[in-house]
Amino acid sequence: MLGYLLTAAFVWAVAGSAYRLIVWARTPSTLPMPLTPAPTSRVGVVGRLLLELLTFRALARADRTTWLASLAFHYGLLLILIMHLRFVWSQLPPSLVPFIGLSGWATLMLIIGLSVLLIRRIVIDRLRYISSPSDYLHIILLLTLAASGTAMKRLWPVDLYGVSQFLQGALRFSWQPLPESLVLVVHLSLVLLLLFVFPISKLLHGIGIVFSPTLNQRDAVSAQTRVLSGSSHSKTRE
Amino acid sequence: MSTTEPDNVALNGPVVGRYRVIPLIEKGATAGMRPAVASKDVQEALALPGTLVADWQDKAIKRLGQLVKQRRGLRVFLDNCTKCGACTDKCHYFLGTRDPKNMPVARQDLIRSVYRRYFTLAGRLFPWLVGARTLNKALLQDWYTYFHQCSQCRRCTVFCPKGIDTSEVTMAGREILASIGLGQQYSQEIITKVKSIGNNLGMKPRALADVLENLEEDILDDTGVPVRLPLDDSRADVLLVTPSADFFAEPHVDGLIGYAKVLHQAGVRWTFSSQASEAANFALFTGQHDHMRDIALRIRNAAVDLAVSRIVIGECGHAWRVAYSYLDALVGPLDFLDPAHSRVEHICEVTHQLLTQGRITLDPQRNAGKVITYHDSCNVARGASMGQRAGGQFRIPRELLAASVPRVVEMSADTTKQKTFCCGGGGGLLTDDMMAVRIKGALPRAQALQSVVDSDEVTHLVAICAICKTQLSSVLPHYGLQHVQVTSLHHLVGDALVL
Repeated sequence: MLGYLLTAAFVWAVAGSAYRLIVWARTPSTLPMPLTPAPTSRVGVVGRLLLELLTFRALARADRTTWLASLAFHYGLLLILIMHLRFVWSQLPPSLVPFIGLSGWATLMLIIGLSVLLIRRIVIDRLRYISSPSDYLHIILLLTLAASGTAMKRLWPVDLYGVSQFLQGALRFSWQPLPESLVLVVHLSLVLLLLFVFPISKLLHGIGIVFSPTLNQRDAVSAQTRVLSGSSHSKTRE
Repeated sequence: MSTTEPDNVALNGPVVGRYRVIPLIEKGATAGMRPAVASKDVQEALALPGTLVADWQDKAIKRLGQLVKQRRGLRVFLDNCTKCGACTDKCHYFLGTRDPKNMPVARQDLIRSVYRRYFTLAGRLFPWLVGARTLNKALLQDWYTYFHQCSQCRRCTVFCPKGIDTSEVTMAGREILASIGLGQQYSQEIITKVKSIGNNLGMKPRALADVLENLEEDILDDTGVPVRLPLDDSRADVLLVTPSADFFAEPHVDGLIGYAKVLHQAGVRWTFSSQASEAANFALFTGQHDHMRDIALRIRNAAVDLAVSRIVIGECGHAWRVAYSYLDALVGPLDFLDPAHSRVEHICEVTHQLLTQGRITLDPQRNAGKVITYHDSCNVARGASMGQRAGGQFRIPRELLAASVPRVVEMSADTTKQKTFCCGGGGGLLTDDMMAVRIKGALPRAQALQSVVDSDEVTHLVAICAICKTQLSSVLPHYGLQHVQVTSLHHLVGDALVL
């Protein structure tokens, strides 16, 4: 049962995200609106986007606490996702093996980052004002995911090989039985929820940045070569 | 909807606190402050409904649906906010009013909640969960109020990790409001004037010619030099388009005299146009792209009629954004221009070039005794550039000032260049019925200015935007800063110019 749902959820998440991207891409972008100073070349724009995507530069300008918490959370999550690849691929590429040792640290980063983000959302009056239930629930969802994952690792170990067979089956349409474990069922149910929510929520914001006209447009006007001189093209008529 | 009298404003009080101090929110603090709604005549002159239409809710939602299909920026910005809070303490109107709906994210949410309710799956299924709301009368009132407490300065965008531009949201919001009968009197009336008469003031060509003639006499009396202010001169190579406030308002007009002196001294053949006697384009503020195009077209037409080879824009912030970023898309290509000046130029670029070429000489000692500081105008800083250099929009005006005045000091870096604070009067808010909000919105700029007045005895605040100049000279006295003179950059250049 969980296997079929997981397959459906993956398809939903991929198709839903693709749909959102297609809608963004097909909406015309008529008037240029780069936030200046903006790069003048396309390479420069790629650099600007990478800087925003990888370092959250604007957030660093805005608020150091949020920035550090977001960095810890997102990079923790990235490491954890990389480690989860071992459940999807029968053999983890050797280049990724060292990351497995970081698992504990990654989870810690993720949990600390998310906790700071949750606490400030509750404590700061401005943040409380702008938050909807879903804004808290997204954080709580990720925190419970991390907690159930950690519980499997530290308290109630599960048959990792069995999990791997199950997941690979779900992704290759050849469903396998799930190893018996309550905490695993909880963890996977939360994954299902995350996959369901992903394409219809703000969680797609990472890719959204790439579509942001203020960031992805170059200052094309400034790029034009131009020589200012006062008398090159004067009128002949008088 | 009615207008409110200025109240609850720190009149002549000392500057309390600093812009770095983030206030606690005060719900509804400026809920009653909104500009007058456009009259029936004005609305109908723009082919818009004269009063609020009966089926306004359906119409507004339908129009929003159209706009998110036509404007990628709007859709991405509405979809992509994570409510991270980075922008919440960055808006001068929030810092000045403490009203939480003036936090950029909360301002966007006024539309985002409706967008979610009617155009997203999550909002249709679980409105209470994702902050989706039905568009009702109270929310409509909030739209009108808080979309007109935004000067569309884009300071929040600088701090947004998703690059969300609140101005695109409030421009769309105002467009929708006007389309259901709730235009803003001030901006919409100006649009009717500029489209019918040629400038925001409704000043007819004859009156303009008189003004320019009188100014020529003034300059001759002052300097003994016959500096001309030509109008519709077909021999000109350069068309100068300037905000109409430059023709009569203080301190703008001294800037206008400055342009004329510079161009005279360099021997440039130039002219104003009575057809395009206005650089401003208020349709930017109201999000009405068709009107923005029509207003921009006057400039193109005037340039073609006068057969000029260059177009130069005077000291006006949003006009420069429209000219720099939009003109090509709206009325381009401007292929009739001199290939060496293939885009519209800013008067500061022209003066800077003439200075570098040695065609004019500036003597800063002629401005001895003045200590000046420079206010970056939002649309120049974040919506355009100058010259061919990175950050030219910051460096060119500063280099001109350094060449014209013996002492130039910088305000706090949190409040200049890309992070500059709006003067508090931009985006179509420069109207008397918004005075209370304008005064509050100027708080961060006033605080930064106070700080350099204390430390360096600054005497002059320089701007290159007509709105900034009018706004700052009228609100600074409320902060006890009446002794700081708001000045046009080209006033100082003109005074330093060796004629």
